[in-house]
Amino acid sequence: MIDYNKNPNLVTRRNFLKMAGLTAAGVAAGRVGLISGVQPVLAQSNGHLPGPMADAYVPGMCEMCVWRCGLFAKVKNGRIVKLDGHPESDHSLGKLCARGQSGFQNTYDPDRVLYPLIRVGERGGGRFRRASWDEALDLVAEKMQGIKDQYGPEAMIFSSTHNLSQVQFENLLNGFGSPNYGTQRSLCFNAMVTAFLLTYGVEEPARNYKFAEYIILTGRNLMEAISTSETYHLSDAIARGAKLVVLDPRFTKTAAKADEWIPIKPGTDLAFHLALINVISTERLGDCDFVEQFTVGCQDLPTVTAEYTPEWAEKITGVPADTIRRIAREFASHGHRSMAHPGWRTSNFVNSFQTERAIATLNALVGNVLNQEEGCLITDTAGEGAGLGKPPQPAYPRVSALRLDGVPWKYPLVPLKLGVFQDMRDAILTGDPYQAHGWFISRQNPAQSLPDRGKTIEAFKKLDFIVTVDIIMNDTAWFSDVALPEASYLERYDPLNVVGDKIWLRQPAIEPLGEAKSALWIYKQLGERLGLGDYFQYADEEDYIRQQLAPLGLSFDELKQRGYVEIPHGPELRPAEFNPTFNTPSGKIEVYSETLANAGFSGYPTWEAPPEPGPSEFYLLTGKVAQHTQMGTQNNPYLHQVFNNTGLWINPEAAKERGIHNGDMVRVTSSVGSVEIDAYVTEAIRPDCVYLTPGFGHMSKGLRQAYNQGVSDSDLHVSFTDPISGGQALSQTFVTIEKA
Amino acid sequence: MADVKRYGYVIDSARCIDCRACLVACRAEWQVPEGQTRIWVNSSGLKGTFPNLSQQFVPFQCQHCRDAPCLDACPTGATYRREDGLVMIDEEACIGCGLCVKACPYDARFYNEEKGVAEKCNGCYTRIDRGELPACVATCVGGARLFGDFNDPDSVVNKALKGRAAHRLINEIDTQPNVYYLEPIEEDNQSWPEAKEMTPAETFWRKLATPGTKLAIGAMVLGQASAFAKQLVSGENEFEE
Amino acid sequence: MSTVNLPLAERKRLKKKKLTKHHLANILTHWFNAFSWGFLLATGLAILGNRVYQTVPAQWSAFLRNLFGGLAPLIKWHESWGMFWAFVITFNVLVGFRKYFMPFGARRMMLDQDDLEWFKQYGRKLAGLSYQLPEQDDYNAGQKAFSYVVILGIITIIATGLIMTFSPQVMRATGGMQWLIQWAMPIHFTAVGLVVAGLVVHIYMGAIFPEERSAFFSMFSGKVDALYAYSHHHKWYKRYIRAEQEWEAGELAKDIEMGVGTAVSDAELDELAD
Repeated sequence: MIDYNKNPNLVTRRNFLKMAGLTAAGVAAGRVGLISGVQPVLAQSNGHLPGPMADAYVPGMCEMCVWRCGLFAKVKNGRIVKLDGHPESDHSLGKLCARGQSGFQNTYDPDRVLYPLIRVGERGGGRFRRASWDEALDLVAEKMQGIKDQYGPEAMIFSSTHNLSQVQFENLLNGFGSPNYGTQRSLCFNAMVTAFLLTYGVEEPARNYKFAEYIILTGRNLMEAISTSETYHLSDAIARGAKLVVLDPRFTKTAAKADEWIPIKPGTDLAFHLALINVISTERLGDCDFVEQFTVGCQDLPTVTAEYTPEWAEKITGVPADTIRRIAREFASHGHRSMAHPGWRTSNFVNSFQTERAIATLNALVGNVLNQEEGCLITDTAGEGAGLGKPPQPAYPRVSALRLDGVPWKYPLVPLKLGVFQDMRDAILTGDPYQAHGWFISRQNPAQSLPDRGKTIEAFKKLDFIVTVDIIMNDTAWFSDVALPEASYLERYDPLNVVGDKIWLRQPAIEPLGEAKSALWIYKQLGERLGLGDYFQYADEEDYIRQQLAPLGLSFDELKQRGYVEIPHGPELRPAEFNPTFNTPSGKIEVYSETLANAGFSGYPTWEAPPEPGPSEFYLLTGKVAQHTQMGTQNNPYLHQVFNNTGLWINPEAAKERGIHNGDMVRVTSSVGSVEIDAYVTEAIRPDCVYLTPGFGHMSKGLRQAYNQGVSDSDLHVSFTDPISGGQALSQTFVTIEKA
Repeated sequence: MADVKRYGYVIDSARCIDCRACLVACRAEWQVPEGQTRIWVNSSGLKGTFPNLSQQFVPFQCQHCRDAPCLDACPTGATYRREDGLVMIDEEACIGCGLCVKACPYDARFYNEEKGVAEKCNGCYTRIDRGELPACVATCVGGARLFGDFNDPDSVVNKALKGRAAHRLINEIDTQPNVYYLEPIEEDNQSWPEAKEMTPAETFWRKLATPGTKLAIGAMVLGQASAFAKQLVSGENEFEE
Repeated sequence: MSTVNLPLAERKRLKKKKLTKHHLANILTHWFNAFSWGFLLATGLAILGNRVYQTVPAQWSAFLRNLFGGLAPLIKWHESWGMFWAFVITFNVLVGFRKYFMPFGARRMMLDQDDLEWFKQYGRKLAGLSYQLPEQDDYNAGQKAFSYVVILGIITIIATGLIMTFSPQVMRATGGMQWLIQWAMPIHFTAVGLVVAGLVVHIYMGAIFPEERSAFFSMFSGKVDALYAYSHHHKWYKRYIRAEQEWEAGELAKDIEMGVGTAVSDAELDELAD
């Protein structure tokens, strides 16, 4: 029996300022009486000094975020002692960020779940018993089959977050026959992906900083939301003299590196960008040849954006019209060497989709995809997939049930693979259009990631059965009936990953601790027990990868040794010349989208006024720190050491009005929840905003480092859904602040 | 002779994004105990008021000084300098007296309670000796930390310094640090050296114990020598039969 | 007690007569101690390799570090032998604390009137003035005084040495009182220095000074000649002879009881002793 309530060393509140003393320099007067002269050079010590020399360097791939940096794990006496970036990896460039460096501490986390656990007592009570894999898997299969038999396969929800074995997760749910697939995507990048799909026909254009001279980042906090190579390339571009304009209501680390920081009013980036479009199109500053040849609708922009003048935008955004006009002209003057960054997490306001459309349009105007070598955006996705094979798969059963998240019956333009996660949760509560009964959650933590945590926990209560797959007892696993222990990314194989012209391998550097197993193994075992064995035609993980490599005739051994293999260059994979056709209905960049117009939305990027907080309310902002990934790394001791500010950012002006001093406890209240947290009074935020670092406030007592530290913004976030992209609007939550 | 290296760091604080990957890499490489660190990202804090703000991040560590006060403070020589200029601590030889910790004007050292020894950046000598970069440099996401041989004109550090003004953390205290910064460091940054007072024990040792002991032994030797001289002169008559 | 007034034949007889001054255990302890001091001093000085604190040429440091394979092993040897030495002498003292150390302390460390006079006269002697040394027990006043320095010094050296050797444990036990270690170093150094200053005299006296030559050899044989004892440790000499005679008398008494000899009077014994 494992009773997490009796977890030893469970701290209720750790002193986050422990590190602060380290940086304070000692104060001393007077000077050390040094004896001048040559320093003695003493005989060197004879190798007695310690240092991790490795027995083996095992190449692999990081999974501390989704960027998938190539890495080397240094293994000594069967233990991973250090991780280093793989120099050949285009994503790591031989580097790993703070999270990547700390990754092996997740593997060796003393709070790891190492054996299958079956709940004892009430759900969420923190009491489990250890079970064998057979018992646990049999139980899961029995429950899932039971739900399927009684309510139909659609009563079973499957959700998982961006990972390499997701393809087999999807295989499981498709084989099972459920349409209800939850991902993190609507909480993150639905607005960006949907906008770029509709405009360029690609989910996410790649960014090329090599020749960039002018970069506008709209809320893209690349110096803290680190994608190693992209962050490095941006840093390189700045050092080379590229001009950086950052739009963010917070003075982030990225803003600290900007030539121009524009603390724009939340939700009004759209007005700013529409005004840029207005200036560039009316003054005909764009790349006219490109626009004429490759875009649809650009010629109408002077008309459709006529009212979006800089003066108009000034009133909305608070940014002076002159500044907007100047930035528009500067941006256009650098032509295809300008980049309006598409952004990543764009779940800010329900108008974020329009913001993304405006950004897509801005890029089109300067033609920065025209030149593959020197353009800032790369939308050519030829070569994706690289011709890898996969195990044979029979056809999936036909699904007739509606999706609980309203795609596409409520949200016609939301791509199926993106979904609307928050609405799926709400459907569990409402039972509309039908009642869900079970939830299979792999590597995901909806208890923390979804807005309005209270609702999520209520949803858990309504379900008959919850099974989670994770490496630790995360907040969702806490509420599960069965917790299955997955092997960490340093202990398992995953399906291959294609990056540029290389195929990368994730492979075990050490044997899995305890009885942890790879997702590939878990899904297959479960599939077989559910009578879906035909969908999992691989003997084991290695066999899966061999089948992937087979069509390309590549050597698995070489892959294991180097961590990657080059994709053989076939003429069909690499077009000799850039062929600027786009995967849109017109084959062009659709600044005017008929698809949108047909669905009853504006065909052109258009202004949508965001809601505004009341007079005593604040925008509640969320964001990223460079030391944590969402809500999965707070229990990592190394990261715990380098991030220590969980307080609520508040501007001194706003704090003063309320008599709040730095470090005071304040009560933050939204329409769905209320939390108490210490105030961090800083000039680095607009007076009408407050900010909370997400990912804290863990409820699981199985996380000794992270339990009950800081608060979770999910307790405060209100659920909103953008009707076009399905994206959640996280910054649309308004809160009041008072001294606690 | 040409093989003699002079290792050092060049740091471009303009490129530091305060992501602290270096701190984690260092912690992992050397199992730095919880609550302590060998390297820092120092800042003099946020400057200005909203919305006119700036903040400088300064990667910081042992400066591997040529005139390192820690070398003089270490009684045994457990702190020593390699031929290539790296200032090292022989953990096996360190008895953990902590005098070096108090002597460093940069506060770059700390006392490791687990091991009972002084600890600081050692240039990741194990890594560089096998041809790798120090852990912090190798992993620096912003590209702010550089490491190399100042005696090699083609080294990355010399290339980085070429045509740039080099700044060092020197004020009235100049210990000849081997870490160069490409940007001027703000005056109120925590990284500037501060004069350190000698501990009472050191003062006692240097001013009283060493000369006093030498004097006592010298006096005794002199006394016995004079007795010996007298004995030579007067002969051992008393015992003669 | 000057031997000048003794008849030559008597002096010759005394010179040949050997009195046992040291037991084997004593001799072994002495030479173990001597070796330890030599070894610990040599290594200790080599450990102080820093230019500020070194008291011997840097070459000595370099030589010993190379000999022992580096600074760390050198320190380990110094610490280990230091602890072994400390253990042996502490053990010796503890084992015989009541039986030997207390009487030893009482007799050999308590200064009496004669000792004070001895200091006065010895000063005159060193100054080249006329002097008359008083009678001394088996340890003269100089040796007694040195024993104070040695005993206090040894206690200090052992204490500070242990603090340094077990500095991590000391730090943990005291909650980070690092000044203990910082002070232990110069105090260790100073205590050694003072004992060494005394040792200079001890070694000179024992090994070079002709009058004490008999004492030097006694540290190998355990015996001194009676003439030396007569002149340098007269009190002890008298007691020794008296004990010898008492023993002999005892033997005689046994003989008499067994009918093989005659009794000796007390007066005769006194006479013999002088």
